[in-house]
Amino acid sequence: MRIDFEQVSFSYADAGTQKRRGSKRGRRNAGATPSDSLERHGQAAWGNDPDELWALQDVSFSLEPGEFLGIAGHTGSGKSTLIQHLNGLLHPTRGRVLVDGADLADKAAARSIRGAVGVVFQYPEHQLFAGTAFDDVAFGPRNLGLDADAVTERVERALAQVGLDVAAIGTMSPFELSGGQQRRVAFAGVLAMDPQVLVLDEPVAGLDPAARASFLDLIKDLHAGGLSVVMVSHNMNDLARLCDRVLVLSQGRQLFLDVPEAVFAHEEELHAAGLDVPEAQRMANSLRARGLALPTRLYATAADLAAELAALYAHGDEKAAGRTAFSSPEPEAAEPEERP
Amino acid sequence: MITFDNTRFTYNGQRFVLDGIDLHVRPGEYVAILGGNGSGKSTLAKHMNALLVPDEGTVTVDGRSTVDPDALYLIRSTAGMVFQNPDDQLVATLVENDVAFGPENLGLPADDLRERVTEALHTVGLQGFELRETAQLSGGQKQRVAIAGVLAMRPRVLILDEASAMLDPRGRTGLLRVMEQLHQAGMTVVTITHSMEEAALADRVLILDDGRVVREGAPADVLTDAAALTERGLTVPFATELSRCLQQAGVPVGTHLHDNDLEEELCALISSR
Amino acid sequence: MTPLVFGRYYATPSPVHRMDARMKVTLLLAYIVVVLLAANPTALGLCALFTVGFYVCARIPMGVAIRAVLPLSFIVVVTALINLFWTQGGAVLLSLGPVHVSEAGVYQALFMGCRLMLLLFGACLLTLTTTALDVTDAAEDMLRPFSRFGLPSHELAMMAGIALRFLPQFMTELDHIRNAQASRGAQLVDRSLKERYGAAKSLVIPLFVSVFRHAETLANAMDARCYHGGAGRTRLHVARMGSRDFVAIAVLVAMAAASTAAGLLL
Repeated sequence: MRIDFEQVSFSYADAGTQKRRGSKRGRRNAGATPSDSLERHGQAAWGNDPDELWALQDVSFSLEPGEFLGIAGHTGSGKSTLIQHLNGLLHPTRGRVLVDGADLADKAAARSIRGAVGVVFQYPEHQLFAGTAFDDVAFGPRNLGLDADAVTERVERALAQVGLDVAAIGTMSPFELSGGQQRRVAFAGVLAMDPQVLVLDEPVAGLDPAARASFLDLIKDLHAGGLSVVMVSHNMNDLARLCDRVLVLSQGRQLFLDVPEAVFAHEEELHAAGLDVPEAQRMANSLRARGLALPTRLYATAADLAAELAALYAHGDEKAAGRTAFSSPEPEAAEPEERP
Repeated sequence: MITFDNTRFTYNGQRFVLDGIDLHVRPGEYVAILGGNGSGKSTLAKHMNALLVPDEGTVTVDGRSTVDPDALYLIRSTAGMVFQNPDDQLVATLVENDVAFGPENLGLPADDLRERVTEALHTVGLQGFELRETAQLSGGQKQRVAIAGVLAMRPRVLILDEASAMLDPRGRTGLLRVMEQLHQAGMTVVTITHSMEEAALADRVLILDDGRVVREGAPADVLTDAAALTERGLTVPFATELSRCLQQAGVPVGTHLHDNDLEEELCALISSR
Repeated sequence: MTPLVFGRYYATPSPVHRMDARMKVTLLLAYIVVVLLAANPTALGLCALFTVGFYVCARIPMGVAIRAVLPLSFIVVVTALINLFWTQGGAVLLSLGPVHVSEAGVYQALFMGCRLMLLLFGACLLTLTTTALDVTDAAEDMLRPFSRFGLPSHELAMMAGIALRFLPQFMTELDHIRNAQASRGAQLVDRSLKERYGAAKSLVIPLFVSVFRHAETLANAMDARCYHGGAGRTRLHVARMGSRDFVAIAVLVAMAAASTAAGLLL
């Protein structure tokens, strides 16, 4: 499944007006091709109320089938708004979102892909509601109108995917489970929709380091199993380690969209946008500034950087001779290396 | 300043969430308490200002036992507490009303209240925010308002229960800077955290596991003990992790906590070859 | 991210914002009486002129005022329509079967519509310039005489204040929950009754759980800051009548006089 954003802009002020005028009219407006009155949309209606600003502005990218796309941005950069465009919860004020070529604003197209884009929102355990964990996970499949056998099969598979046993916890109330288990159940609730694209908003927020690591492994496995993944995160280490490409948003605009090697080469621009680079990358940059002849490339993990430093230590003399050539930090010279 | 003497506590009468805690926080000290989820660290924090009282043993704050009903408000204004979720602890719509909430409860006259609000907001770097709406602030700013609300009671100890956990990197940096400044000005700081960056700033670090203090010492000792950290589900600080990887790869470096120290040693080591 | 709703505070430094909240509540009541007694369009026009003046003094931009009132404007429309069809007199302008629209009806609809609009603008001026906490504090003060008869005025005011402070937050949270459940295919429209019930349950239960979760932490946070009810508690804002309050009284008296004079003379 492929998702295309074509110059998507979105303003909450406009969405609010649509709601107030009645949902039918709003929907019809959203269904129309790029609005007839771009000028009117382009400017804040009244004064400089923060509500009136663009939450997204001219965002264009394609999510390729099977890709792992990271989204980074400071609070208020438009990440949450972008996510809600991925499964048609919000429709662009300008521009289009296409899923396999079909415009999401079209109701029929939206219905045909229902469930194919699964969104796990922040703190998903806060949406648990059913009497048993089984029923909670079954909520999605039942909404799709599946019969009882198919629902049971989906629930069992989804719970197994997140490492839970339906026999052990299926009949328990979700509120009796531990925090980590609750999040897994909520996760399974989305997987049971059988999505082809999994969208995750800060999936490990609020977890302790051990739970965080096992959750990221789970996400990696799901991706390896063929799902496309879109992951929003504040943690640059995770993004650098896991993603094929990273989209950086700043104040609703697309700052970078590239492979991690290229994105994390822009330490200063990222700082200005309130973001960091991975810790290993930061130290590599700092060591290079101190005069060590480290090659300019992405260092996603400590092991990554240690290997390079060990090589430098072993061949200290040879490298030292060519230091001036190596230490000029020109991003163009960076050869994106094969990542482990 | 704060003393736990063989403190035990249970919510349900079966499992002791605190199981024999001995702890002494000295005036002016900066203590970080680490532990995985369920280690009892939030329960420990709640004992420090009498939100919870021990089932066995005692907790004293500034010499007064937390079970003494006459000392309750004295203890709570001496040991101020900031919680994890910025949205749950602000009471008022406007910043100045929220900061004044604590001193208002202490029954101070209006002129004193005004002075304390101004002073507290200045300390956390939010001067001029008096008439802003709390709902419109960023997470980091909300937490700083929460700290100002505690500071306005002129406490001697500041307890932060995972106060930075829900903040983004920029908010976290701002919060750490405020904590650092307060500590330098003589405030006793106790922070409950997952963050190694935060713990590294402390004078002393404790690791809590299953209601007991299992490791205690200077950050340079405790936080470089990768095995002890990993066993409790905690992350290893980046410099320590890198030191370990380098040692395994045969580079003879020491184990460091701070990036700067490791970088200096590496540069010296490699350029001397 | 939420559109401006009725009852929201608009923070800006102005003399009206700094007025004693009790005075603002009292003056609002007086304002309502004056507007209701305005006898003819000239009187109402004068009231409108004064209202515009109040908004200028309060430094509230036109757009903000309009958006604050807009959500409630349906009341105005309904009232105007009722008057349009019920009031008869003068030439009939339009007949739709048994329903006639007369000159008097149009006049009455416009007059009542404008009057109600002014009342809404008056009420919004209070909420735009006064924080929920100040309104509840004022209510607490004004109710205090009744505490002699066992009315817990402080507790009521505190509860109302906290409810108002958390309302926008719960709206945001409900929005998050709705998004999450909609992503799992929950639908409240075009569905059988049973499915609608299930979808409604999937919104209400998480919201309740969230309310209790917030309540617990909030209670802890209030305890930790020495809250122990109204006894012995002081306030940052000591409501004190100042010169601007007397000016406001004078202005309102002028408005009443002008409106009455217009009503009597024209």
